[in-house]
Amino acid sequence: MGTLAAGFRLQLRFYRSYPDLLVPLLTAPLYGVVFTLVMRDGHRPDLVGSASLAPFYMSLWWFALFSGGWIIQTDRWEGTLEHLVSAPAAFAAVVLGRISATLLPAGFAFTETWVFARYVLDAPVTIRHWTVFLASFTVTLFAMAATALLMAALFVLARNAVTFSNSASFPFYVLGGILVPVAVLPGWLQPFTRPVFLSWSADLLRAAVAPGPVPHPALGLGAIAVLGVAAGLAGGVVLSHILRRLRTRGELAIT
Amino acid sequence: MSNASVVRHAFRVGARDYSTIFTWKTWLGAWFVRVLAQVAFFALVGRMLGSAERTQYLLVGNAVLLAGMVGMWAVNMVAWERSTGTLPLLAASPTHPAVVLASRGSYLVADATVSAAGALTVAGLLFGVPLPWARLPLALPVLVLVAGSAFCFATFAGGLLLGFRSAQPIVTNVAVVTLMALCGVDVPVDVYPAPVRWVSSVLPVTHGLRAIRLILGPAPAWEPILVQAAWEALVGAGWLAVCLLSFHAIVRRGRRRGTLDHSS
Amino acid sequence: MPVSTTPRPALRGPGPSEHPGDPAQATLESLGRSVGAPAPGTAPAVEVTDLVREFTRRRKSPARALNGLTLSVPEGEVHGLLGPNGAGKTTLVRILSTVLLPTAGRAAVCGHDVVREDRAVRRLVGVVFGGDRGLYTRLTARENLEFWGALQKVPARLLRARSSELLDRLGLAEVADRRVEGYSRGMRQRLHLARGLVGEARVLFLDEPTMGMDPVAAREFRTLIGELRGEGRTIVLATHDMAEAQALCDRVSFVRDGEVVATRSPHALTDLAAGVEFDDLDDAALALLTDLPGVTEVTVGQGTTRVRTDSEEALSSVLATAVGQGATRMRTLQPTLEDVYVQLIGDRGLKV
Repeated sequence: MGTLAAGFRLQLRFYRSYPDLLVPLLTAPLYGVVFTLVMRDGHRPDLVGSASLAPFYMSLWWFALFSGGWIIQTDRWEGTLEHLVSAPAAFAAVVLGRISATLLPAGFAFTETWVFARYVLDAPVTIRHWTVFLASFTVTLFAMAATALLMAALFVLARNAVTFSNSASFPFYVLGGILVPVAVLPGWLQPFTRPVFLSWSADLLRAAVAPGPVPHPALGLGAIAVLGVAAGLAGGVVLSHILRRLRTRGELAIT
Repeated sequence: MSNASVVRHAFRVGARDYSTIFTWKTWLGAWFVRVLAQVAFFALVGRMLGSAERTQYLLVGNAVLLAGMVGMWAVNMVAWERSTGTLPLLAASPTHPAVVLASRGSYLVADATVSAAGALTVAGLLFGVPLPWARLPLALPVLVLVAGSAFCFATFAGGLLLGFRSAQPIVTNVAVVTLMALCGVDVPVDVYPAPVRWVSSVLPVTHGLRAIRLILGPAPAWEPILVQAAWEALVGAGWLAVCLLSFHAIVRRGRRRGTLDHSS
Repeated sequence: MPVSTTPRPALRGPGPSEHPGDPAQATLESLGRSVGAPAPGTAPAVEVTDLVREFTRRRKSPARALNGLTLSVPEGEVHGLLGPNGAGKTTLVRILSTVLLPTAGRAAVCGHDVVREDRAVRRLVGVVFGGDRGLYTRLTARENLEFWGALQKVPARLLRARSSELLDRLGLAEVADRRVEGYSRGMRQRLHLARGLVGEARVLFLDEPTMGMDPVAAREFRTLIGELRGEGRTIVLATHDMAEAQALCDRVSFVRDGEVVATRSPHALTDLAAGVEFDDLDDAALALLTDLPGVTEVTVGQGTTRVRTDSEEALSSVLATAVGQGATRMRTLQPTLEDVYVQLIGDRGLKV
């Protein structure tokens, strides 16, 4: 427990020391302006509400990718990884503590996006289905943390992690259906969207602020949870592989 | 060293920096997929709105924005230059800093142009947007102008931000979304009040994008196209002038205070 | 001032002069006991037997960093691992601090096996590597220390006070709330040491702790390490600096090619490999010196003559003889690491 808390606090200190980790909190309102302007200019006021919330998912994905994904790798660069491994505290607990700290700016990103949408963009974002909203929000944050764990582990092993993280933004925004629902995508692309937890989350959040009933809430929630658990388990497996490799080979370098 | 060889060497240095991030395989398999997705992300909105005209508007706007976006990376380039300690060497060299900067960044302009032109073509084909293919090559020099003026703008911003390491990624990201919002990429500039339109007219992308929309439009006329392209060049030249003035000021102050070689 | 919150008797291992290291005896002792929960103070702090570590290389035979190394360090001793770069010192420290697994052989810290009981070992050891890296540079010294303290399982209620105490003790109190990125080498190294101490480690590994430090900072740092000696902590100091090992250690193990060549008291080192260099020695004097007992080597160079001896007494008689012969310009020679090896084990098996 103490280790989790130490990891959590460490990550919060990093947010203070590296403000660039919080950049989506600055770009989200700008994206909000762009998205709502496009819908209004296209004479579709009915789409303004959901469009104004889309930047939240961009922030969420960004946090998973950048502030979560680089956690272990930065320790490698700083030369602190060996000290983490040789400490009596469980390495996985440190990583988990740091990743759970990324939920804080992610949660804040939603508040920011919603308040900006409601009071600055004047978008209709009243939450009509609170149960669906709260459930999907919680399970989405869980899936995001699990995905961040998987990325953190994979980025250590991947030769092109920098290239990947720089390139994994918009392709996943499209597959996640965060602005344009997955249903509008061409049919050949649709099977690729389902393994992306964002696609289920975005559908549920849109439904939660829309009038009328929410279609298949249990299916959506279940899918997000399953994808989150899968990412978390995969992350755990890769993490223990990394630790084993570090101790048997003496380094993590890709040769 | 002659200017030509400075250009050659600086280009090589820049290209080497770049090759630590990309090989041509990762450029094509990761980066190009990303820029294509960025254009598609917005073009899909047009499709959702059920309007072919709007789809084309968003597709062209966001493809041209890519040229400006890649040009904006010059912010980071200036920071590298400082952190690798080459800035004092640059200041002490007999070559004009404009020559060095231009050649140092020429690979960025090249990448910007290729990214934008490639995304425009491939996304155009994917979305079945009826682009006038024969006139597409005419857009290339304008894309170079857009990338170049964004590069000058970014170099100036990068110079201002020297010493604030955390600020560079923040500024690059915020600047790109600002360009997206203000330069007529997704919605016409006319939707904004006059003061915002003035800002927009001195930003890179705005005029070049207008020129390209005219080139790809139904009835292209030479004169307005050339006027808009000239404006884009002028905006770039203006930022370059500001950039060089500030560079001289930094060097003068740095020589006086001895801060030029501090990599903070 | 001890850092410990619970007072602990200052346990000193058997002194090097009375007990010039008897690994065999220590091994027998540890074999006779169950590995699970050794009583403190009875198991050696470090017990390494026939340790081998190989690193696989691409399209080459594996590199052997440790080649059957055996070592025993009693609790409370400051033990030097002296050897050139690449001798295997760092590999040994990494294995003992559970960061690396051995290929073969056995290593234990306070009776706990580093492979099977790695968690127990991690609670006992503190590691200090030399160099610039290994700290979160954008955090302050205090933030770094509190984080590492939490990872060392220091109870939260003690952590703040202990961090302050350590920062104060290591002369970092005034800069404790500044980011580490602005620190000098020496300051970073003191923070590294604080990190090694924050968990109340019973065994402290220092790997080239003064590497890259300027001489003044290195001397101050050695003074600090010297202060830790009286606290009953076992310290294993890996270094290639003979003066450093001499100044700090109770015993020194010479490591070469992944093996311990010999373990000696550092006082023995001063007797070894001493010599004089003369600038103005005439032929008659030279002939006299060459025949003195204890003179091992005489080399005549351009205008200078080097005379090496095997003991302090021999050196004295060389000096007396030379002065008697009218020599006035001379300087004593500091033994190099290589000299010491040659003196210790002769030329047997040495690839220079």
